[in-house]
Amino acid sequence: MSERAATSSPGAASRVRLLWARLGPERRLYLIGACAAVAAGIVAYGVPLGVQSAIAGAFEARAMRTPLVDAAVSSPTEADTVGVITEPERAAPTSTSARFALALIGGADAVARQPWRVGVLIAVSAALSGLLLWLKGWCVAHASQRAVRRLREEIYAHLQRLPASFFRRHESGDLLQRCTSDVDTVLSFMSSQVIEIVRSSSLLLAAIPLMLLTDVWMTLSSLVLIAPITWFGVVFFHRVRHRFLKKDEAEGALTARAQENLNGIRLVRAFDRGAFECERFRAANAKHRDLDRGLFRLFAIFWSASDFLCLIQLGIVIGLGLWRVADHSLSISDYAFFLVAVNLWLWPFRMMGRILADLGKATVSIDRLDQILREPEESAPTEPLPPPAEPLRGVVRFEHVTFRHEPKGALALDDVSFEVRAGETVALMGPSGAGKSTLIDLLLRLVDPDAGTIALDGVDISRLPRAWVRGRIASVLQQPFLFSRSIRENLVIASPQADEHSIHAAAADAALHTTIARFERGYETIVGERGITLSGGQRQRLAIARAILRDAPVLVLDDALSAVDNETEREIVGAIRSRHGRRTTIVIAHRVSTLTLADRVVVFERGRVVDVGTPEELRQRPGLFQRLWSVHAEVEREAGMGLAGDRSSNEAAEGETP
Amino acid sequence: MSTADDLDITADDVDHIDWRLWSRIARRAFRFRSAVVQLIAGGIGIAAIEGVRPLINAALLDEVASNGITSRVGWLATAWIGLAVLFCGGVFAFIEAAGRLATGLGFELRQAAFGRLQELPFAYFDRRPVGWLLSRLTSDCTRVSSIAPWVILDIFWAAALMTASITAMFWMRPALALLVLTTVPVLLVTSFLFTRVMVHTARRARRLNSAITATFAESIAGMRTTKTLVREERALGEFCGQTAEMKLWSTRNALQGAIYTPVVSTVAAIGVALAASAGGGMIGAGDLTAGELIAFCQYALLFMYPAQDLAQRFADLLSAQAAAERVQALIDTDAEIRDSDAVRARIEEQRTDPKPGVAEDGGPLQPGRITFDRVRFWYLEGEPVINDLSFVVEPGQTIALVGPTGGGKTTIASLLCRFYEPREGRVLLGGIDQRERSLSWIHSRLGVVQQTPWLFNDTIAANVRFGHLGASMEQLVSAAARVGADRFIDLLPDTWNFVVGEGGERLSQGQRQLISLARTVLRDPAIFIMDEATSSVDAETERAIQAAVEELLRGRISFIIAHRLSTVRRADRILFVADGRILEDGSHERLMSLANGHYRRLYLQQFEEERQASILES
Repeated sequence: MSERAATSSPGAASRVRLLWARLGPERRLYLIGACAAVAAGIVAYGVPLGVQSAIAGAFEARAMRTPLVDAAVSSPTEADTVGVITEPERAAPTSTSARFALALIGGADAVARQPWRVGVLIAVSAALSGLLLWLKGWCVAHASQRAVRRLREEIYAHLQRLPASFFRRHESGDLLQRCTSDVDTVLSFMSSQVIEIVRSSSLLLAAIPLMLLTDVWMTLSSLVLIAPITWFGVVFFHRVRHRFLKKDEAEGALTARAQENLNGIRLVRAFDRGAFECERFRAANAKHRDLDRGLFRLFAIFWSASDFLCLIQLGIVIGLGLWRVADHSLSISDYAFFLVAVNLWLWPFRMMGRILADLGKATVSIDRLDQILREPEESAPTEPLPPPAEPLRGVVRFEHVTFRHEPKGALALDDVSFEVRAGETVALMGPSGAGKSTLIDLLLRLVDPDAGTIALDGVDISRLPRAWVRGRIASVLQQPFLFSRSIRENLVIASPQADEHSIHAAAADAALHTTIARFERGYETIVGERGITLSGGQRQRLAIARAILRDAPVLVLDDALSAVDNETEREIVGAIRSRHGRRTTIVIAHRVSTLTLADRVVVFERGRVVDVGTPEELRQRPGLFQRLWSVHAEVEREAGMGLAGDRSSNEAAEGETP
Repeated sequence: MSTADDLDITADDVDHIDWRLWSRIARRAFRFRSAVVQLIAGGIGIAAIEGVRPLINAALLDEVASNGITSRVGWLATAWIGLAVLFCGGVFAFIEAAGRLATGLGFELRQAAFGRLQELPFAYFDRRPVGWLLSRLTSDCTRVSSIAPWVILDIFWAAALMTASITAMFWMRPALALLVLTTVPVLLVTSFLFTRVMVHTARRARRLNSAITATFAESIAGMRTTKTLVREERALGEFCGQTAEMKLWSTRNALQGAIYTPVVSTVAAIGVALAASAGGGMIGAGDLTAGELIAFCQYALLFMYPAQDLAQRFADLLSAQAAAERVQALIDTDAEIRDSDAVRARIEEQRTDPKPGVAEDGGPLQPGRITFDRVRFWYLEGEPVINDLSFVVEPGQTIALVGPTGGGKTTIASLLCRFYEPREGRVLLGGIDQRERSLSWIHSRLGVVQQTPWLFNDTIAANVRFGHLGASMEQLVSAAARVGADRFIDLLPDTWNFVVGEGGERLSQGQRQLISLARTVLRDPAIFIMDEATSSVDAETERAIQAAVEELLRGRISFIIAHRLSTVRRADRILFVADGRILEDGSHERLMSLANGHYRRLYLQQFEEERQASILES
């Protein structure tokens, strides 16, 4: 296809192939569309042919009447207007195209007698051309929209299946840009650019044989500037690419300036710097304006210059044509054909350069998208095992688990082994960076261990489907993500069949029900981007309620209560423990008050398990837990009955730091 | 908390053009007089040339056909070339003018909106996310300003072109002109009908497109959560629903376009057919020249463009109307908190006739004692945040505000800064109602340090200088030294010219805090307000910050929304605030002596957490 011409950089050919491959099953529709575009281009010349035959037919009629006119009347007025015109028309030989056009509508005689025949030719060919154009539009609309829909879905599906590590390696802004604007670039290529090239070139290509049938020299003269006009466009837009980039950068800077101001608006106001900020914004605003204005100037130059080239081309055709008409070597009807035909294909060609210059963008975009699509998805187990019988008992065993974040980096987990019994609540504690969260990631199969195994009810989870494992573990991550939907939808997102009662019960267990009830729209309140902003503690509690509602055999809380105050934390953990049919629970926590609620505590330090025991046991032997405990005990003593006593009247007491 | 009214001006489904709104925008556009004049002149000029060119072509052909190459042909050719050059000049002129108008108008709108944002009360920002405001300043302003020149141009260009063509045709052969013109109403009606329908489908597609972008963004940000909820397939299903709808509407829009263009060009060709049939007969009868026939055919085709362009501009106005409405609404929003007329009069008086020893608004230079007198405040009607709050702070006192999140601590500080005004009651500075003083005086006496200090993506020097714009380098250095920020600044690669990154990301939390303290020291405020960071920093930075704060507290009224025990203990007075009331008021020792006191409970809890954190990190 013609885009091949525009892409010269190495690897461009393979990128074009990529683009072609993306069209997939839509290639046939595209071919039909392209054929329709070519056919429409050919048929469109019925209009100039019609004008040509109208004049030719009229002179035929004159010719039939001329002897009469000559013999009977020879009034000077008549000679002025028509008489003399017949001369060159008769002197010039009738061209093949004119004879063809006249033959098409019943021959010169018939046209001379019934001039409406040319009208029929023009109207029918225009209508037919329109019909073919519609067919082209129909094919291209369906083909491009289908192809792009498929592309979008493929990318989205692939993103869903990429491993968590992929998202650590890639910046989300860049990913989003690829998923949106790169797709748009590909769409605009598929829906308009390709077809515009086909249309413009088919108009020209269809004109050439017809023009040659009319007059060879006129044809050549009409093509003199085609190459320069196209070349001018390509070179022009290629040369000014960096100006567009600069303007985009200035726009980015302007946005950044405004964003910075809005984010820091409190500071700006407190320091009374409104006027100063206006001046700073003005500088960015003015820079953007000036660059943008410069682009308009460039466009002004481009359009006026390319119009000038086109007008010169037209002038050459008119000049040569008139000279030949005066010379009697070109008939007036053929001249008319050229005048109308050249106008038909000349003007669309001005845009060719721009389109060709832009083609490179589409191949770059498709390559950027392909990079995502080439990334390997999360692996499926190579030697799958049958999953354990359900209902699961919920025994989780870690055996010699070792893990590094980077292939040659430090050990994040070093030979970790312990077991969580069915229905047991185990707390993981230790300094940050000790490997607690990594262990949870491994359990959820977000990452895979370098050595060792994790077993669920005795079955190695690395030999079970990831989704199956995650489906059995309800987890609350350190920074829970809420979807931009209502509270209710966020709660039931993973358990669609939950009824009203269990939704409220889960929210109550997470100490959230009363808070929600106080919102104007209750459970229908929209949260996130397009709704209200919840506080850190509210977000955590919502995520906990969501996990509780899933009612999975294993519950994991990864430091999920850090923004919730002590007492609420105790309440929530207590509620979880007292739920009917106790679930195996693994909780990462820092507060002694919470740790003491666990059946057993696992102490981590630098990726290793340094101690395991019941809170009672750990209190007795020296170590991290004991040191924390002593502070806790000291405070308890100080507070006397205080802490166990009345709670503050306000329920909103989450995040109660002084 | 609830959604602001104008957030919902997605009243995108406008069906009629709001002429009053657009005439206001037009008035703003017409201020760029020379650009508008050049634009209109260019449009009319090229329309006239386009209208005349077929006539010249006709005259050339007829002259050559009847008399060969004569001097008249020379004149006509010269005119043709001259008009071609003029035409290109006109094209340059109108695009250049459109550029000046579009960019100038965009600049003005943006500047006006930005300026207004600098004056609007905080209540305005509470209800509008930054991203939303940003779209008003960027895409909405661009949208409105970029269509403005083309609407103006095309109205004049289309009118001029139609007038010129019709005049030329009637001047040649009125009867044939009437025949050809029968297509014009059809062209206009078809174009307007189609564009009107297409505006709707395009709008649907655009909205779906932003929904798809939002879904992509959400899926990227929430990937881990999606995985742990095993929602991948369901999320994909929902996404496919969106893409299916997107495909439906964009295909529909494209199909409408696929019908529209051929229909219009066919109607135009029918005009040519009429001209050719009737004209052919007329030539045969000797009533028309060949040149004139060609001219008529060209005019018939020419009408297609103004009809299409006018319809397109109409569609542009419709689809940009929501953007225009939002921008205009922002510019029109009243700044509720501003200097009263009396205050402004006094400022003017002081400016013309300066009295020594008083502030710019004629009041005392120093704020003196601070009094909250039965203050009530709510953000939303019926949800009081501050309830009948009264207290007095003497000059030099350090006040620690403690209490649960959402209890009203931050609101008290905001009221003191006059970021909000009490709904009932008064805030007095040295016995004078805050509202009797000028906003800029109040703000000039304030030093505010936020919990997450906001730094501009600029050099350290520029960030510190924000506290006092005219400060010399020596003053900057000494301010930094006073808070102990000089040590780390000197170690940075470019020292004072180090660019801190977006929001200060290239500095640690503690370093950012020190910069913001240095900035405040430089300002030398009479009232110091600090929202202490909740997140802990390493012990050394902690000590540095403590020392810096110590430096700032000296000799000023200070309000600290306190999170650290060391700060709380040092305060002269502790106010325990919950539910918009002061529940406890007194020194640390006094409040600790209250058995079961709120403060005591909070203190012990915090004591435990701080100790435990230090054990875990040791």
